[in-house]
Amino acid sequence: MNAIQYEAPGSVEDAVALLAQANGEARVLAGGTDLLVQMRAGLVRPGLIVDVKKIFDMTLIAPDDGGFRIGAATCGERIGANNSLRAAWPGVVEAAKLIGSTQIQSRATIGGNLCNASPAADSVPAIIAAGGTCTVAGPDGRRDVAAGDIATGPGQTSLGKGEMVVDIRLPARPPRSGSAYLRFIPRTEMDIAVVGAGVCLSLDEGGVCTAARVTLGAVAPKVLVVEAAADALIGTPVDETALQALAAAASAACEPIDDIRGTVEFRTKVAGVLARRAAGIALERAGSN
Amino acid sequence: MNDATAPIAGAEAIAFTVNGRPITVAAAPAKRLAAALRDDLGLTGTKVGCDAGDCGACTVLIDGAQFCSCLVPLGRIAGSEVTTVEGLEFGPLQAAFHRHGAAQCGICAPGLLIAATDLLRHTPAPTEQEVADALGGVLCRCTGYRKIVDAVLDVGGDDGGKVPSSGAAVGARTVKVDGIAKLTGEARFGADAVPTGALWLKAVRAPYPARFTVGELGPLRAAHPGLVRVLAAADLPCNAFGIYPELRDQPVLADGLARYRGEAVLALVGDRDSLALVDAGSVPVSYEPIQAVHGLDAAMAKDAPRVQADKPGNLLVEGGVVSGDADRAWADCAALAEGVFETSAVEHAYIEPEAGWARRTGDRIEIHVSTQTPYMDRDETAHVLGLAPDQVRIVPTTCGGGFGGKLDLLVQPLIARAAWLEGRPVAWVLDRPESMAASTKRHAARITARIGADDEGRLRAASVDAVFDTGAYASWGPTVAGRVPIHGCGPYRLANVRARGRAYFTNTAPAGAFRGFGVPQTAIAHEALIDDLAASLNIDRLEIRSRNALRPGDRTATGQVLGDSVGLAACLEALLPDWHAALAEAEAFNAADPRSRRGVGIGCMWYGIGNTAPSNPSTMRLALSRDGTLTLYNGAVDIGQGSSTVLAQVVADTLGVPVDRVRMVVGDTDRTDDAGKTSASRQTFISGRAAQLAGEDLTQRILRLVNAGADASLDLDGPSLTVTDGGARHRIDLTALPEDADGAVLAGAGRFDPPTTPLDADGQGTPYATYAFAAQMAVVDVDLALGMTRPVYIHAAHDVGRAINPTLTEGQIHGGIAQGLGLALMEEYLPGRTENLHDYLIPTFCDMPGITVTLIEQAEPLGPFGAKGVGEPALIPTAPAILGAIRHATGVRVTRVPALPHRLRAAIRDMERANG
Repeated sequence: MNAIQYEAPGSVEDAVALLAQANGEARVLAGGTDLLVQMRAGLVRPGLIVDVKKIFDMTLIAPDDGGFRIGAATCGERIGANNSLRAAWPGVVEAAKLIGSTQIQSRATIGGNLCNASPAADSVPAIIAAGGTCTVAGPDGRRDVAAGDIATGPGQTSLGKGEMVVDIRLPARPPRSGSAYLRFIPRTEMDIAVVGAGVCLSLDEGGVCTAARVTLGAVAPKVLVVEAAADALIGTPVDETALQALAAAASAACEPIDDIRGTVEFRTKVAGVLARRAAGIALERAGSN
Repeated sequence: MNDATAPIAGAEAIAFTVNGRPITVAAAPAKRLAAALRDDLGLTGTKVGCDAGDCGACTVLIDGAQFCSCLVPLGRIAGSEVTTVEGLEFGPLQAAFHRHGAAQCGICAPGLLIAATDLLRHTPAPTEQEVADALGGVLCRCTGYRKIVDAVLDVGGDDGGKVPSSGAAVGARTVKVDGIAKLTGEARFGADAVPTGALWLKAVRAPYPARFTVGELGPLRAAHPGLVRVLAAADLPCNAFGIYPELRDQPVLADGLARYRGEAVLALVGDRDSLALVDAGSVPVSYEPIQAVHGLDAAMAKDAPRVQADKPGNLLVEGGVVSGDADRAWADCAALAEGVFETSAVEHAYIEPEAGWARRTGDRIEIHVSTQTPYMDRDETAHVLGLAPDQVRIVPTTCGGGFGGKLDLLVQPLIARAAWLEGRPVAWVLDRPESMAASTKRHAARITARIGADDEGRLRAASVDAVFDTGAYASWGPTVAGRVPIHGCGPYRLANVRARGRAYFTNTAPAGAFRGFGVPQTAIAHEALIDDLAASLNIDRLEIRSRNALRPGDRTATGQVLGDSVGLAACLEALLPDWHAALAEAEAFNAADPRSRRGVGIGCMWYGIGNTAPSNPSTMRLALSRDGTLTLYNGAVDIGQGSSTVLAQVVADTLGVPVDRVRMVVGDTDRTDDAGKTSASRQTFISGRAAQLAGEDLTQRILRLVNAGADASLDLDGPSLTVTDGGARHRIDLTALPEDADGAVLAGAGRFDPPTTPLDADGQGTPYATYAFAAQMAVVDVDLALGMTRPVYIHAAHDVGRAINPTLTEGQIHGGIAQGLGLALMEEYLPGRTENLHDYLIPTFCDMPGITVTLIEQAEPLGPFGAKGVGEPALIPTAPAILGAIRHATGVRVTRVPALPHRLRAAIRDMERANG
């Protein structure tokens, strides 16, 4: 077993250069809450760790074209403490606040949650529902990637060698729009989602849904964007009939696994229930802004 | 098993501030802060419970924000300011913890204090919810969190921790005698006081049940010069241990056959860094999987492979109780209830993994270890090493939680053997996955039961057939199989009983002792059936229990006639007002909320205090030295429940001196007498009585010196002891008295062995000298669509004989409720799948309901000041009460625990379908 090289560069460019030049496996260290656990368990054995927390720009939340730019190394606690972000995208904030206990929140980052590529990551369905995009920096410069295109499967990402996610951008919230994220775990806190559901919807002045996105976590190898569930809402006043159709569509889209946290049947059922409840919350929020 | 993080080369000088002191550590930047604090800086107040961010024991403040220090690379904190528990002043927060008994074993206390400090800085007057949220990532397995929340909410509150006056200690909420050290980081747990220069040990464990061969070790040794020795089965003079001397079936190191995943096959001994570099894959052991037996059906199958070659049918042991004629009595019953109930293996999940170190001193070996049973450790380690028992000395460290799991040998024989051979101290600290894979579990069980009643709900007959998955080795299996039939039909009057308990071997981790020895599993069955009978006879569920409750003078199924201390009826009476209020409230709630349903349930239990039938004495000694120091030589290990405090209170009131005058030597086998194991809820009752007898003995010796009468009082003031006998005052100058070899000028001893008789072939006899009784009611909300149960309230009424220390008694009950809640709703140990604290879930702060405790004190004449025991009784009624509440809420009778949401949801679905 070889020694591990640890670097803490001060800029994105330096970090990318380190990653690109690494001989063996290189890993980005943000909050460390996944990487250090995986190293402890012997699941990953990187030769190089690139700590990005010293890259100032990656820990900031800034206004961005009416929306927000969240540095990938921003921790859940900072996201939770940002009032304007919470007012605009409550679904993303409540999801980020669910990542770990208070003892984890001051470190675990939103970019880490995304790039760890767990199908059960809490923030990812919420970011995708919000229409989030990422800036990916690499040896060939920067590119924009839809947040839903980062993870390709459990633990797998579309990032090439030397690439890393620099920030996550959320658009300006359209008028009369609301977002929500709910997850289900068998205890009250600190567990991996059995199912997560993100909903974002917009209403017209008459209260009819004009746009919606419904996302589900932990029911497929990657986060699902359920268009049929969104379609069930669009053009409706998000009434009981529409919500039932959304729940049915969400359940129908699931391709979950059986594991210690839940059966296929259970996850399928819960996905519908949570999507429906999240839509109810999003609706209420849309009506109040 | 998994490897530790690779050690990181390229040590750098990393400067940061710890507790206000600038320091520089020469270490690799990727080294974890928790390890650096403990190993490089000696700040062992920061505990490591999981090394994965799941338990929060290592929580420290970094630049003012709390975080798990096991997830922080040192490089990250260069220039930062770190605060550990050692850096906190002992202030109002710590005083509140102390006053409320918020630290039981104390392993989680440093993390909790840090988290609470962080909270109180931002939010000086937090709400209960804010406390739960801020501290929620720190797991505690002892307290059920209630006393912790109470303490944080009461920071700066009235200091009730004053010492009660002479003679008033029993019944007072005195602070724990070992409490302060647990709040400052000074208490030394198993991993905390390893001598510098010690060698370390690392086990190689089987990845699955397998035959194995060990290849040529030369290359491994060559690759790791720091590896000084590899121990295998043949290196142990006697490679077998067990709980029962006639049942020593477990090897210290497997000998060619590993019967379960996680069984140790080799022990590597070397310097710590070298061992960390050894990759499990590079150790030349080749495994050939065997046809493994998993689960009770496989174990009991006709042609099942034998887990142990000499155990036909995989049967370890069978026990039973027969009284009356149940077969004939069924015909007289107006109502019958029956069912099959299954429970899962449960992990103890003490936050301190097994740890200890050993050193050789001439022809003796000294073992410092976190344990519940120093004397058994001594005798079994001596057996394995081929030594006489008095060549082994056990010095218990502070024990970071036991619950029965530290009643088995784990680290003891291997560190002892390695230290014996090497002549250097050898330490071993298990990591969390290793601890979970290797240590014992609560027996998974299947209980088939039937109970019949007449038309007034009076129980006429009961039969219970309980089978237990005892894992690969006997451990405490015989204890479970013996205890269960006695308790199997519940705390009720029953003339006709047929109860049987059997334990079967399987290829899984040995099931051992776990708070209740099989009785919690069985209570789930009998309480569900009592609810069935109540339903079919249309009798209130509390009322039917009250009609059948054992009362003083009743005869039990073993033929024992109960004495005066039988408080079940009083417990039920105490619940009655709350019970009716909760039922009415649930009805109103359910009329208003369509999403979730509220239900109310009740569970009763009885529990024999002490070991089943055999002699289990305790001996306590008291000594007064020339300077007036009063020392209790106390062999009863305090595992956090507070036995040391209780014994001090008993001694203080027996002698009539203030409780803070009692000094103590605890558990050291060279300096104390055998008090028996800290198990079976026995230390307050048995060792408490022994301590009382020791106090009486010492008092009589003192009085005899001055020919004082029995009513005389003592006043101990330094070397001057005053005896007041009526109007006469006698002053004894202790400095003038001759010292014995131990430096004592006056000494007293007491031995108590509870009067029991062996059971005959039908299980008839007096297995226990006394029993504890309890009833708990639970209120839960069930989210019907999600199958999620949320306990909202529990009222626990316990007959404890006498609460020597009500704060500690309540703490036991809260903690028992938390574990009972886990058993009912979330805990299930699956080898290879739930071997950590993020896949194996135990209750957190927010999972705990509000709790009311009512203490019933039906004095037990044999007990010290009337006391019995409470440790295990605390958890037994909880799962039945919660399951009864789920049934009341949903109509579903849960027959398999834990009632995980997906299971409960499936049962709700089935019921909805059946009802059309």
